[in-house]
Amino acid sequence: MSTADGADPMYPLLGRLVSSRDMGREIKLLGVKLLNGTQPPFPAYAPGQFAFLSAFGIGEAPFGLASTTERGEVLEFAVQRLGSVTTGLHELAEGDALGVRGPLGNTFPMEAFQHKNLLVLGGGIGGAPLRPVIHSVLDHRQDYGQLTILWAARHPSLLIFRDEYESWRAAPHTELHLTVDEADAAWDHHVGLMTDLVRQVAPSAANTVAITCGPPIMIYHVDKLLSELGFAPEQRYVTLEARMHCGLGKCGRCNMGELLVCRDGPVFSMAQVGNFLESYL
Amino acid sequence: MKTLSRENLNLWLDGLAAQQSLIAPHLEAQGVFYRPVQRAQEIAWEADRPALSAKEFLFPPSERLLKVEKRGPDIRLEVSPSAAPQAIFGLRPCDARGIRVMDAAFLETPPIDSQYASRRENTLLLGLACRSMGASCFCTIMGLAPDDPRDMDVMFTDRGPTLAVQALTPRGEALLAGLPIVEEPGEVEPASRREVGGLPTAEAWKESFGDARWAKHGERCLSCRLCAYVCPTCRCYDVRDEALPSPPGEAHFERLRAWDSCTREGYRLTAGGHNPRAAAGSRLRNRLLCKFVYYPHQYGPAACTGCGRCLDACPVNLDLLEIGGALQEAAQ
Repeated sequence: MSTADGADPMYPLLGRLVSSRDMGREIKLLGVKLLNGTQPPFPAYAPGQFAFLSAFGIGEAPFGLASTTERGEVLEFAVQRLGSVTTGLHELAEGDALGVRGPLGNTFPMEAFQHKNLLVLGGGIGGAPLRPVIHSVLDHRQDYGQLTILWAARHPSLLIFRDEYESWRAAPHTELHLTVDEADAAWDHHVGLMTDLVRQVAPSAANTVAITCGPPIMIYHVDKLLSELGFAPEQRYVTLEARMHCGLGKCGRCNMGELLVCRDGPVFSMAQVGNFLESYL
Repeated sequence: MKTLSRENLNLWLDGLAAQQSLIAPHLEAQGVFYRPVQRAQEIAWEADRPALSAKEFLFPPSERLLKVEKRGPDIRLEVSPSAAPQAIFGLRPCDARGIRVMDAAFLETPPIDSQYASRRENTLLLGLACRSMGASCFCTIMGLAPDDPRDMDVMFTDRGPTLAVQALTPRGEALLAGLPIVEEPGEVEPASRREVGGLPTAEAWKESFGDARWAKHGERCLSCRLCAYVCPTCRCYDVRDEALPSPPGEAHFERLRAWDSCTREGYRLTAGGHNPRAAAGSRLRNRLLCKFVYYPHQYGPAACTGCGRCLDACPVNLDLLEIGGALQEAAQ
């Protein structure tokens, strides 16, 4: 494929793994720096966008960008080991080469979110593409209203970005609520599904935007609940995914009705995809 | 009308075949297929539309996107070379439309797919009108005709000792320059048409999303994907890395893309293994709604040419006309 500048967007840029840190059980935070040389640099990107990572010889898969351009040049991806490509990426050592393609997809409308209260609901590895939203709000705290983060996982060992919770809580007008389906001995937060936590926190829909990412079943039930709490479809955002192959609107893998997750999304409001959500289950 | 004698056409085709790959209908053990031929004599003239479309010559069943060579910590990536020139002769209107439909996704919707573009730029479309509509053909429903010259560079109509010839593009005109073409009085006789049923409007297809019949069709569908593979417009693909033989101390791979279909069970999996289209009926519905609703929404044209190959290929006789016809009746 080629863009106006002649670059082929199916052709990965070469990068190096600069850090690979265990974040949870089978979950690593990978830090990637692009190699200097003839390749163009990775363009500026915005919260919500994704990129493909190549474990060469194994394959390529899309991951939400978990970092922000503002916080530095290292691209960060939270990768849970689930299949062959994620295993290949987990097995890379710091310094190893990998491929990067992106940034792709649309973005959260951060400007439209300004001066609104934000309710961020992340389930499991689905929290990864929401971290750039949280970082952007924390880095421009005065531009946004109350930030309420509802963060869930099946088990404490599957919670991501645990080392950042303190700094999230310490920010002004920011709350963090945690829940797990199944606790361990050290757990002293809520136990139950994300929907239980939403009911307990009972967020107000007034001047608020909700942003959800997690497994499809969680997205579906959380969305229903938010609707009951008075959030209009235009106030309910999701970021969706599929095992896509191009990210460019060609391979056909990610359609949801007439929308393509890669090109029309991955960020959608429920006004766009509400009717399809049941078929996404 | 302009005509060319069969003898001169054959000489010209022999010349084309000497310069570039010439693809034309050819009789194989299992029927007539578009295949590379060396000489005009090898062409199967009498056949209906070939058993498979010409899709594979623009969008091969499997092709290399990238070669990867690992030498210790170093990685070298190599893109595929550009395509060699080819001419497809005897192309039927439905198959030319199929190419036109793929153009809409791969060329006309940015970004351009460079491998498809390279093949497309290097391919001449030399049409041959069908004399009539085959048993499963329904091109007329899709707004085509058995002798539809649109989407071709040059269109030929077989008239026995001579062929009517019409250039449709500047490239086609340049190609015909210098040929002993004769101006004859009269018009080209139109191909015979057969009355075929109707299909729902895009709106009616869309409204069928919740129709209970999809689940019933799903009980029959084997998810074998034959319909997609014989379809001139189905263009979904899979990408994967495969190992290549490598010299000692190195590891070579290629990144391939290969045809795929949304009727395959694991096609729409999400990262955690969840399958939003686990039911065969929902996958079949997706494929047909893509043809008439989703593809037009994303890229413009409807993704069906009425070639009828899916009707011939389906091992359980799922029939697009039957499925659509029933929905159309329900909508009325």
